[in-house]
Amino acid sequence: MRNIILVLWILLFLFPCYSMGEDFMGVPLIPNSKIISKGDKDIQFVVNMSHDQVLKFYKDVLKGQADIRIREWKDSTYIEDDGNRKWHSITIYRKPINDGIKVVIKKDNWTWIMGTLILRYVGVFFVLMTLFIALSVLGKIVSTIVKKIESKQES
Amino acid sequence: MTINEIMDMLKGILYTTGIFNFDYRVIVMWGVAWFFIYLAIAKKFEPLLLLPIGFGIFIVNFPLVPLMGYSHGHPELIEAFYHYGLQWEIIPCIIFLGLGAMTDFGPLIANPKTLIIGAGAQLGVFVTFTGTVLAGFTLKEAASVGIIGGADGPTTVYLTQHLAPQLLGANALAAYSYMAMVPIIQPPIMRLLTSKEERKIRMKQLRPVSKKEKILFPIVTCGIIALLVPSVVPLMGMFMLGNLMKESGVVNRLVETAQGSLMNISTIFLGVSVGATMSAERFLSWKPLFIFGLGLIDFAVCTAGGIFTVKIMNLFLKDKINPLIGSAGVSAVPMSARVSQLEGLKADNTNHLLMHAMAPNLAGVIGSAAAAGMFIAMFD
Repeated sequence: MRNIILVLWILLFLFPCYSMGEDFMGVPLIPNSKIISKGDKDIQFVVNMSHDQVLKFYKDVLKGQADIRIREWKDSTYIEDDGNRKWHSITIYRKPINDGIKVVIKKDNWTWIMGTLILRYVGVFFVLMTLFIALSVLGKIVSTIVKKIESKQES
Repeated sequence: MTINEIMDMLKGILYTTGIFNFDYRVIVMWGVAWFFIYLAIAKKFEPLLLLPIGFGIFIVNFPLVPLMGYSHGHPELIEAFYHYGLQWEIIPCIIFLGLGAMTDFGPLIANPKTLIIGAGAQLGVFVTFTGTVLAGFTLKEAASVGIIGGADGPTTVYLTQHLAPQLLGANALAAYSYMAMVPIIQPPIMRLLTSKEERKIRMKQLRPVSKKEKILFPIVTCGIIALLVPSVVPLMGMFMLGNLMKESGVVNRLVETAQGSLMNISTIFLGVSVGATMSAERFLSWKPLFIFGLGLIDFAVCTAGGIFTVKIMNLFLKDKINPLIGSAGVSAVPMSARVSQLEGLKADNTNHLLMHAMAPNLAGVIGSAAAAGMFIAMFD
């Protein structure tokens, strides 16, 4: 009985730690981070850690979760959710600013989905337009050459 | 030997039969299988694919059949076809090689502006993506469902296997079913979106295309696609290789194999493997049914997208394009081109649109591959 009470006391003592652990759209914020801005759509904070430490923190947090993609960009590491989570991306900047590394977490949004879809649809047009131009040029060149050869043969 | 021992032995034997492991859900799947076998045999809807798919669904939906699992560490029969053929993304590419060896790109080379119709007809792919995300699918699943509207079986299989293999059976079945139903689905949409005058538009006869152009086409196309959408080069590279083999005229034996035996063997493995992925526990949920419903809308929007693209192009063109060929931008080669021809003949029985419609039809194949490439690039 004494042990159970002890465990309950420990749990009660630890509970505020969990409840005070901040998160944005289900993504935990790194403890002791300094929030620069927080809105409905995104949160920006700075944390006194290196880029690799921040990346490791979020890799550990998201370990084993499906549909998570990590992209290494020149100026940042971009963690993206391709599943159905409330958040869309976590951007961890490489270059330290005054107080440490800047992290931006963005809410999943239709602007991104629609934007990328429209761009990709335009992309399909771009691919086929390029082919169209190439084929038109090729057609003109080849038919000119063929005509020349034919006229030479006739003469 | 006592009676109890005999009974135990009997029990042991009976428990290895399917009867004692029977699940009522398989009966529903038999119904689905028989329906597709019926469509293939009685209605002749895409029989080359629907028949093996139907039979694949049928045999995999029996309890304890050693077909889609692993025994003693080795893949069972259809699991081996599925693993090496589809999971390794080999079969769709081999089928594209065969398709390339069968295809004459002459109409497209003679009228390259129809490539734009092939792009316009991918509208449904992107619209469906949105609808699928709204319904709670993941982005990868949404992309794989969206591509159904491209009406290109191998591309659908390739993309789905790449992004959402759990939907392979449902997506492939929806794609091939709707491709088979092109003559039923497209004509009402075509008539609804075009006026009588538009349907009577006569198109200028296509110029003859030289052999040199036909040989250069696969090389140039492959190069451009490899530069712009490298993720679909396994598909398009094989497609263009098949076409180059055909047009070069120097490897007839290879062409015969690619468009004959190799293609037929791949089709058997593709059909039966896709069918076998549709076990009752996977198929009997809301997702496959939703995919079937949305696939139809996808197809309709793609058809409309092609027609609208022609209408927009006609605003700027001196030589007008008959909007009936816009619907052929949804691939489904050559079925949708034939539908354009038939609808054209209904409006004017001397107006033959088949060769004109073949151009956007082939552009649709390239367009849907480009769309698939865009999606792969989005997630890789």
